[in-house]
Amino acid sequence: MSDRGPSDLEIETRTRSAWRNLSWVWLVPLAALAVTLGVAWKTWADRGRPIEIVFENASGVVADETTVRYRDVVIGSVERVGFVADLSSIVVTVRVDRTIADSLPENARFWVVRPEVSTSGVTGLTTVLSGVYIEAAFEPSPGAQAERFVGLKQAPLVAPGTAGTTITLRTDDAAQLTAGAPIFHKGIEVGRIEQPELLFTRDGVVFDAFIEEPYNELLNSATRFWLTSGFSLSLGTGGLDLSVGSLANLVRGGLSFDTVFSGGVPVTEGQVFELYESEDAARSSAFSNPFENAVELVVEFKDSVSGLSAGSPVNLRGVRIGSVSAINAIVREGDNGREVRLRATLSIDPSRLGLGDDDVEETTVIDFLSEAVREGLRARLGFQSLFSQALVVELVRVPEAEPAALVLLPDLPPQIPSVQSELPNLGATAEGLLARIDNLPVEEVLDQAIATMAAIETFAADEGLREAPDALVSLLDDARGLVGSEDIQALPGEINAAVSDLRTIISTMEQAGAVDQVLSAFKSVDDAANSVTAFAGDVSGAADEVTELIKRLQALTDKANELELNEFLTSARELVESADRLIDSDATRDLPASLTAALDEARGALADLREGGAVENINATLASAGDAAEAVEEAAGSLPEIANRIDLLVNETRSVVASYGTNSNFNRETLNSLREIQNAAEALSKLARALERNPNSILFGR
Amino acid sequence: MENARSQTPVLTAHEAGLIGCTSCGKVHRTGTDRCARCGATLHAPDGKSLQKVWAWLVAGLVVYVPANVYPMLRTTTLGQTTDNTIVGGALDLARHGDYGVALVVFIASIVIPIGKFAAIAYLALAVSRKVRMGPHARHITFVIVEFIGRWSMIDVFVVAILASLVTLDFAATIRPGIAAISFALSVAFTMISALSFDPRLIWDTKYR
Repeated sequence: MSDRGPSDLEIETRTRSAWRNLSWVWLVPLAALAVTLGVAWKTWADRGRPIEIVFENASGVVADETTVRYRDVVIGSVERVGFVADLSSIVVTVRVDRTIADSLPENARFWVVRPEVSTSGVTGLTTVLSGVYIEAAFEPSPGAQAERFVGLKQAPLVAPGTAGTTITLRTDDAAQLTAGAPIFHKGIEVGRIEQPELLFTRDGVVFDAFIEEPYNELLNSATRFWLTSGFSLSLGTGGLDLSVGSLANLVRGGLSFDTVFSGGVPVTEGQVFELYESEDAARSSAFSNPFENAVELVVEFKDSVSGLSAGSPVNLRGVRIGSVSAINAIVREGDNGREVRLRATLSIDPSRLGLGDDDVEETTVIDFLSEAVREGLRARLGFQSLFSQALVVELVRVPEAEPAALVLLPDLPPQIPSVQSELPNLGATAEGLLARIDNLPVEEVLDQAIATMAAIETFAADEGLREAPDALVSLLDDARGLVGSEDIQALPGEINAAVSDLRTIISTMEQAGAVDQVLSAFKSVDDAANSVTAFAGDVSGAADEVTELIKRLQALTDKANELELNEFLTSARELVESADRLIDSDATRDLPASLTAALDEARGALADLREGGAVENINATLASAGDAAEAVEEAAGSLPEIANRIDLLVNETRSVVASYGTNSNFNRETLNSLREIQNAAEALSKLARALERNPNSILFGR
Repeated sequence: MENARSQTPVLTAHEAGLIGCTSCGKVHRTGTDRCARCGATLHAPDGKSLQKVWAWLVAGLVVYVPANVYPMLRTTTLGQTTDNTIVGGALDLARHGDYGVALVVFIASIVIPIGKFAAIAYLALAVSRKVRMGPHARHITFVIVEFIGRWSMIDVFVVAILASLVTLDFAATIRPGIAAISFALSVAFTMISALSFDPRLIWDTKYR
């Protein structure tokens, strides 16, 4: 083309097809794409399937961080934590490995593992650092593919995947149970219990218990569970029994089980067992359950069966052979029209009757019982124990019972005849006894007793009492001294002499009829006066003088009539009284001379009287007797004076003694003596008064 | 050099019936198969090299996707494992207040690779006349891409160093994620892509 450019070159442009023109380099992006897609696909495939778990509380669960583990292997992670529509609970969305998610059954359990310290130990410690995780427990069931679960509030107590048997226990009171408490068999821990839950449909509490392998083989339908709280105290006929288990047992409580009778059948998962309060209860419960090939009997009672219940024992001579399985009332046509009877159905264990172990034909038992009934076997009610109102059915031999036979009815078990039971009304007796005890005036008696004791105590503590014997002794000594003094001893003799003189005079007078003579003399004077009056009636004029004279005579007569004699007697009595008084008197020693004189005078007068006996002498005698009596009276009148003097002396002495001091021993003794003396003086005046009132006593005795 | 700045078309060796050795630069006559000096195979600039560029670029782009989606670092601290993507890591840093470091990471890991992709793609398009661009601008772009390319591996190096240094067992452990490999591949692919670019095409007018 141009001159300066290079020559035209034949340049052939190879024209190829678009595909053939492609470079091999394009394989690189293709490979990269393939690898990337492969990685993406793997990621997608590994992403897992979302499942939802509903928790009430998901504390610590964090999206993208919290993992889900199955047997401690991570099988997924939390993708999202949200709420359900009404915000009442939390939905945790978890991506779970596809292979695992495919096998998740609906009953898979999920719970959040948190650190936990309990009586059973410390768990979940690793989560303190790493944060919580969700643990899954399930029985893989391929193809289940469940997607929505409800999470547990807390970890199940039995480690998931542990082989064993889960059973259900029922009890009335779970107070001694805590979740995770151990279950023992002969002291070996073989399982544990889960959270007790209240059962609303029935009374009671149910909870699951898990028995680990291989101990679950020990379970059968004859197994009984009982509480072992670790501490048991029982008081029975065998005495006091106290047993304390391990400390852990005390804290956690626990259960034990054992097979209490033979012939149990294997249990199924979730079988319900009753939980008993104690081992005894559990063991005796064997009888409250139907026996193997039990023989049924019925018995009708006329008595009240209050206290008898289904499960009450049936005893044969005290040995338990069965139990009451049912009680019902029936109406019977009896002797007195329709009457209500109570029918108890008894379940008898043939093996307990000693009729072989297991394979006993029912007819054998019935034959045996028929024979026994013919020989007097009867059923009656009895008390289970002394203090219990619970009844038992006793089968006893009553030889004197009316003849009866086992009643075989077509549609009923054989009926065994019953006899009237001899139930003492223990309750009423005890009540009466208590009432009587209650009525005892215990408090009053006690009060009185206390008062008496207090009085005795103060009395005994009184020093005066202690001194009293001494004072008495000294007083007696004094009295003895006084009595022993010659004067006193002489005095009664004198008085006696005087008195006997008096008696002699009186008897002489009576014998002499002195009084009668005097009286008749007076009478004749009277008669004379009367005749003079009559005469004077005839003689008029001199009447007044005569009347005057008559009056004087009458007055004289009255005077005579009335008594120089009485006066004399009184005086004599008073004399005697005075003499009597003097016997005990202190002052007798100093008897006034006037008394002696008076006595002498009296004696003189009496002598005169004795010598006399003539009517003429009477007046003179009487006059002298009156003088004597007056003298005696005077002397007697001085007695009070003596008493007063004694009193005075006593008072003086007392004041003297008082000046020594109030409480000294001497003081008291002296005072006591003085008091005695005073008393004697008082007795003297008393005697005087008595003699005054009844003077005859000294003469004729009381 | 004034010519180079001018917009006047330059006469290329190809147009002059010559062919330059890409290894040592010796010019031979068209039709020569091997370089007389270094023995390298001589080939005329053609669309094939552009195909290579595009292919490697696409591969780099493909691999760049998982590099951003998958975690770059897997940090395990006291039992807690945290996955960090590139962007996530940068955002974490920013959230913790390390804006400077976050910016460096962001530029090194996001801006530069994406810029490189864009630059190479633009260059390739410009060479094939899909977009208008002066040969001098193309040249400068090419130089920049080549220069930056080797620094793009900075992220991968950081991950490699961290993963080998921080292995404190339970306390703290850092492992590279899938994204680290992807990112390394992506960088490698873009470098190859840039290398595949025949700089002679910048000046070639044949495709004009």
